[in-house]
Amino acid sequence: MTGGTRARAAALALGSSLLGGPGYAQTSGTIGVGVSTVHYDGFLPSAALSVAPGVDWERPSGGVSARGTYLRFETGHESVQGAVTARLATAPVVTGRRAELAVSTGASHYLDFTAFWHAVARARLELLDLEHGAWIGVTAGTTSHGGVPRPVSALTAGAWWRSPGLTLRLSGNGSRIGDTTYTDLQSSVHADQGSVALDAAVGARLSNGASGSEAYGEASAAISLGERTALVVGGGRYPTDPVSGSLAASYLTIALGFRLGTPRRVVYRAPAPQSPSVEPSGVRLEVHPEPSGSVRLVVDAPEATRVELAGDFTDWEPVPLVRVGRTWEASLQIAPGVHRANVRIDGGVWIVPVGVTRSIDDYGSEVGIFAVP
Amino acid sequence: MPSPVRLTLPVVAVFASVTAAAQDPRIDRVPAESRAAVVALIDSARGAGLPVEPLMQRALEGTTKHASGERIVAAVRHLAGDLGRARDALGAPASPAELNAGAMALRAGASSETLAELRRARRDALIVPLAVLTDLMASGVPADSAAAAVLALAATTRDADLVAFRQAVERDIALGAAPGPAAAAAASSFSAAPQASGAHGQQGAQPRKP
Repeated sequence: MTGGTRARAAALALGSSLLGGPGYAQTSGTIGVGVSTVHYDGFLPSAALSVAPGVDWERPSGGVSARGTYLRFETGHESVQGAVTARLATAPVVTGRRAELAVSTGASHYLDFTAFWHAVARARLELLDLEHGAWIGVTAGTTSHGGVPRPVSALTAGAWWRSPGLTLRLSGNGSRIGDTTYTDLQSSVHADQGSVALDAAVGARLSNGASGSEAYGEASAAISLGERTALVVGGGRYPTDPVSGSLAASYLTIALGFRLGTPRRVVYRAPAPQSPSVEPSGVRLEVHPEPSGSVRLVVDAPEATRVELAGDFTDWEPVPLVRVGRTWEASLQIAPGVHRANVRIDGGVWIVPVGVTRSIDDYGSEVGIFAVP
Repeated sequence: MPSPVRLTLPVVAVFASVTAAAQDPRIDRVPAESRAAVVALIDSARGAGLPVEPLMQRALEGTTKHASGERIVAAVRHLAGDLGRARDALGAPASPAELNAGAMALRAGASSETLAELRRARRDALIVPLAVLTDLMASGVPADSAAAAVLALAATTRDADLVAFRQAVERDIALGAAPGPAAAAAASSFSAAPQASGAHGQQGAQPRKP
């Protein structure tokens, strides 16, 4: 048994960070330490302690990542799992096609009777646009359980769509491992709201094996406790991964994740650092330069009863926005340049809406920054 | 003994500069205990040839946010320093909007050398390149990688395409790429595919709802 990978994944879902180094290569490191309660199929529930380090080295043309998980259960039994993946990609594109080839190898070990290793290669063709895209891919390789290798093959296809702070993925893949075939259909969403990052996924597995079909789903939240630390809570159920040897389980986990060597930033695209004025409101600001020369500011806050905006283009006098359906709007004369602004909902604190760059504002709070070309 | 003319000129200059900021009715909104210091900083900046509107706006921002007078003065002084560094890097002909954008880029972590190189690389206005530079660093792109990417594009890329470039970087980061390589990849793509500029330009200039 080598499960608990979702506890590890939740701990690692902290984003990347820098260890330093100039140029285009970027090295990032994370480590997650957490406790979980895990209920593997065929076993009684158990508490577990997890330690999950990860290192990534990336360049525009590819990269190498290494992940590990150590689990210690109530019984004192231990599980160790690790994997290394290397990627090579064709010349990057802004829109259009991009191809990627990846090889991955890993192994896991639990007690004396369960040991897996695998080595697979994956080819993938992506069609990219700025806000949506799709991919198809094939995977081939081998996996071994107890010294008996089995061939692995898979076809996968998917699509993604994103807006500021939100990414949605839909995917389907058909896999064959030895004489077992199954199909996974999955959708996932990732959202950054203030200092909280949310991930959720639901899926269904259609299998020809004795296990039949099953549904699964997971959710996690990473709450920033500072620039390098986050609290991650998560739970749900995931299916067996016959390639890596991860056994299906239900789990709840809480972990502390640490980024390594992140340089201090005073401006943020998202998520936000801790700040008393910032709340995960989900309020979004869009800036639309108009042909007439004015700039239309649109705030998406359907639940609000009053929305005001203040910035260096209003002499920092609050300007009430007008409700237009689900949004609030104002058209203002704003000179080309980089501007600072905050939004206030229902007379509350001044916040930085999603969709603009966050910056520390000299006043113990934060301010939004946007450019008018 | 100094002549009456030598004495008179500085007095007139000081009087004129003090009244310039003090006569701006917006200064009355600034807390009384910091008003004189803010006026002095603004007039000093004006005397040094720096844009003063950003300084006034910074003071008004603090006022709206109910900051203490001491904090407002510190913020205005800090910004005046950043504007001065930006002017030194971008040169005297830089527009007030460029200096303001440059000050923000410096605050975000850009170096004065990067600003100076940007000025040499691009004849057009630097507002958008500086804003993109700030945004990249805000997205986690290391300062030197962000500078390299923007400098690679600055000479030949239109403002709208720079905005599209920044959107591409943001997308790749959202999809899981490390910020530094994402910026380098997008810069490489834009450098290699200038024919794509029209399509991207339209998208960048007119952000739309998802």
